[in-house]
Amino acid sequence: MRVKIIRFIIVSLFIMITIGLIYFQAIRGQYFYNLSTNNRIRVVPLEGWRGRILDRNGFVLADNRMTYDVMITPQDVVDIKSLFRFLSEVLGVNQDKIMETYRRRKYAPFAPVVVADDLSREKAMVIEENKYRFPSLFIQENYKRLYPYGRNSAHVLGYVGQIDLSKIEEVTEYGYSPQAQVGKTGVEEHYDAYLRGQEGGLQIEVNSRGQQVRLLSIKKPVKGQDITLTIDSRVQQMTMELLEEKPGAIVVLDMNNGEILGMTSSPDFDLNIRTSGKINSPFLNRAIKGVFPPGSVFKVLVALAALDSQKISVSTTFKCVGYYELGQTKFGCTHAHGQENLIESLVHSCNIYYYHLGLVLGENIINRYARLLGLGRLTRVDLPYEKAGLVPGRAQRLASSQKRWYTGDTLNLSIGQGDTLVTPLQLARMIATVARNGIEVQPHVLMAIDDIVVNKFSFERQMPVSPEAFQIVKKGLRAAVTDNEGTAHVLDVPGLYVAGKTGTAQSQPGKEHHAWFVGYIEGQQKDIAFCVFLEHGGSSHNACLLAKEFLLRMQEEKML
Amino acid sequence: MRSDLSRKIWFSTIFIIGMGLAALYSASYQNVRVPPQIFYDQLLCAFVGVLIAYFLGRVDYRKFYDAAYVFYGINVVLLLVVLVSGRHAMGARRWMEIGGFSFQPSELTKLSLIFMLGRYYSHRRPALSFSLLTKAQVIGREIIFPFFLTVILMLLIFKQPDLGTALLLFGMFVVMLFASGTDFRYIVGFLGLCLCLVPFGWHYLRPYQKDRLLVFLNPNIDPLGAGYTIIQSKIAIGSGRIFGKGWLSGTQNQLNFLPERHTDFIFSVIGEEWGLLGALLLIYFYFMLVRCGLTIADQVKDKFGMLVTIGIVSILTLQVIINIGMVMGLFPIVGLTLPFISYGRTSLLIFMIMVGFLLNLSKKRSAF
Repeated sequence: MRVKIIRFIIVSLFIMITIGLIYFQAIRGQYFYNLSTNNRIRVVPLEGWRGRILDRNGFVLADNRMTYDVMITPQDVVDIKSLFRFLSEVLGVNQDKIMETYRRRKYAPFAPVVVADDLSREKAMVIEENKYRFPSLFIQENYKRLYPYGRNSAHVLGYVGQIDLSKIEEVTEYGYSPQAQVGKTGVEEHYDAYLRGQEGGLQIEVNSRGQQVRLLSIKKPVKGQDITLTIDSRVQQMTMELLEEKPGAIVVLDMNNGEILGMTSSPDFDLNIRTSGKINSPFLNRAIKGVFPPGSVFKVLVALAALDSQKISVSTTFKCVGYYELGQTKFGCTHAHGQENLIESLVHSCNIYYYHLGLVLGENIINRYARLLGLGRLTRVDLPYEKAGLVPGRAQRLASSQKRWYTGDTLNLSIGQGDTLVTPLQLARMIATVARNGIEVQPHVLMAIDDIVVNKFSFERQMPVSPEAFQIVKKGLRAAVTDNEGTAHVLDVPGLYVAGKTGTAQSQPGKEHHAWFVGYIEGQQKDIAFCVFLEHGGSSHNACLLAKEFLLRMQEEKML
Repeated sequence: MRSDLSRKIWFSTIFIIGMGLAALYSASYQNVRVPPQIFYDQLLCAFVGVLIAYFLGRVDYRKFYDAAYVFYGINVVLLLVVLVSGRHAMGARRWMEIGGFSFQPSELTKLSLIFMLGRYYSHRRPALSFSLLTKAQVIGREIIFPFFLTVILMLLIFKQPDLGTALLLFGMFVVMLFASGTDFRYIVGFLGLCLCLVPFGWHYLRPYQKDRLLVFLNPNIDPLGAGYTIIQSKIAIGSGRIFGKGWLSGTQNQLNFLPERHTDFIFSVIGEEWGLLGALLLIYFYFMLVRCGLTIADQVKDKFGMLVTIGIVSILTLQVIINIGMVMGLFPIVGLTLPFISYGRTSLLIFMIMVGFLLNLSKKRSAF
């Protein structure tokens, strides 16, 4: 009887253990199977090289270079003291300092710690040769972005850095990992999707200590695509040297196709170091992100508006007595120019003439033409963070500050003052449009991706403005250079057909004016439009001198 | 029919040992952590064990009866010796060296206790004279004195420290007490009293033993420390799923994720590599062996034979159930081996002696 009870208990126990096994292996088996897979498989990421950036002549502006980092796997360390003694001998760094770095960065026994980065090749080889003595030590090959020209084209190229954690959410589905190095600004950012290499990886099987047992599979990293820019690094070198110590910007545009040959902003910074002691926002690309009042350059489009809307003819004159009285306020001019027609007004840059035009046209028409010529709207250049600037008007004034528009504002607008703000690139494009009788091109910096020429920017738009009006204005722009009294007479360079408009824009009270020269050259190897801007550079004459020096040097280098 | 029984015993034993050797081979396969020579060690031991079982199956088993008390006495002495001068391994003094051959006296206690209790309960057992004794005398004779003899062994083993074997002996005592025919009420009373003493026992546990019990309640308290073994072993068994990962192909095993996989945790190797089918087959053969024992116990006329068989059956069942349950995380880790399979020469030989005893009874029953 008692044996029967014991038998019953034993049978129950065996049934219990059977049920337990069925539960663990059949019902939850998949769960544990996945856990066992995670246990043994690790993925070691391999970074794909970033594509290079080349200028239009094939000079490499952004490249990659190998770096060697010293890594230590904590769990494999045998004799920590002799290891650090060896490292300090090779690296020439204090032993305690290395130890300190190691302690700070160590977080798991299996995770390698970087104790020193960016070693010279020789030192890396010394360490590699001594690997047999220190099994925990190894050299990790890595790469770093290298900008061979340093400061040249710094603002156009932009740089690479750790991805913003605030942005990571929106880009993870495009395959960016939180450790990803991404372009931060400029071309590096705008064309990041092409430049960036595809991450590969090694799938390895590890044992319980995290040591590799065998390689399961390799996914080879893919190098990113090379990007060729329309930028000419020689132009960049010149403009960079010309702008040395002077805040400002120079934009050089091929007016036939919108290719940006040069875009320099000053002060600049070295892309490889990315620190600059200079004040005045060195990281700001003034050519597209800086907005400034255009001053007299704006008169080009006011003249165009008046001609095209047939409010005046070429021969219409206004008298300049040196000032214009509106109610109690006097609006001044540089001289008393006397009777002036349109050409003369452009040559002398007479304010009074344009006050009259402004009153005749009204701010709405000026506004419309400003927009037609690309002011107050984005140029949609293929660089990030472009600013649109501002062309003020009645409605805009009301919407932004609930204030009224006065006639005085119209006067200010007609000579490009007041709230009017433009970027140097906008003005360069405007003058290109004028030079081509109303054909607007798309400014861009991208020429080719991996040898495939990109032509998505090669479209043109015809502005609904009569060509005759352009012809007349262009006559004025040329006269401003050729006429002895012309504001840009210094630019009358033999052998070059230069035309353009100066501008001296009032900035904040107590500060120097902004100096502008915006012009174009025709009949040479390339028809180029350019904009020279000096922030608080004083009289426009300074901008003209700079422009002249630039053109002379271009001529000297046989680039014109 | 009798030869049928002994054939069954042989068959299931050989099968279990064979499966164990295969698992051990896999556990030590191309490995430094678990040296491959343990496989050959165990193989040799299995041969010796089979010879012993065969030999014991043929001697007069009454000799066990005669030697029972002497055997018990020798065992107590051995345990004392091992406590004083035994070899240390993994924080415990369990082994003693005799002529270059080390063995564990604690394994021996399983046998000596079975024989001692078997003889004790079958010897002074004129069931009729019950009424002539006072209640106190009955309790003293039936429970307290044999329990005292058991506790001596338990304490000596607990001191080593080996909580698992000590508790196993207690379990075996309870089963044999029950099988001896002692009044059920006394047994219940005795067990109730023991239960009340359990909380006091907590203070006598070593810190690592407390850790193990706490970790059993929640392995994730210390996943890389005390809980590591049980977590990895659960993963191993579960990941075998129904058909297993294949012999020599268990990743948890081959990549060293399983500590102690050649001894207490060998079942996780079987579960991982042979899956549910292999594990159930093994359990079936254990059950077959146990059932043979129960059949013998049911039919044998001799009380000593019956009690010893029950003792063997109980120890076998308890160790199998507790070991597998512990490896699956159903019981705390108490350090009990899986009979016939875990690496351990003493353990294997002791179980082969038990098998020999079963074989003996399956044949000689007609003699009584």
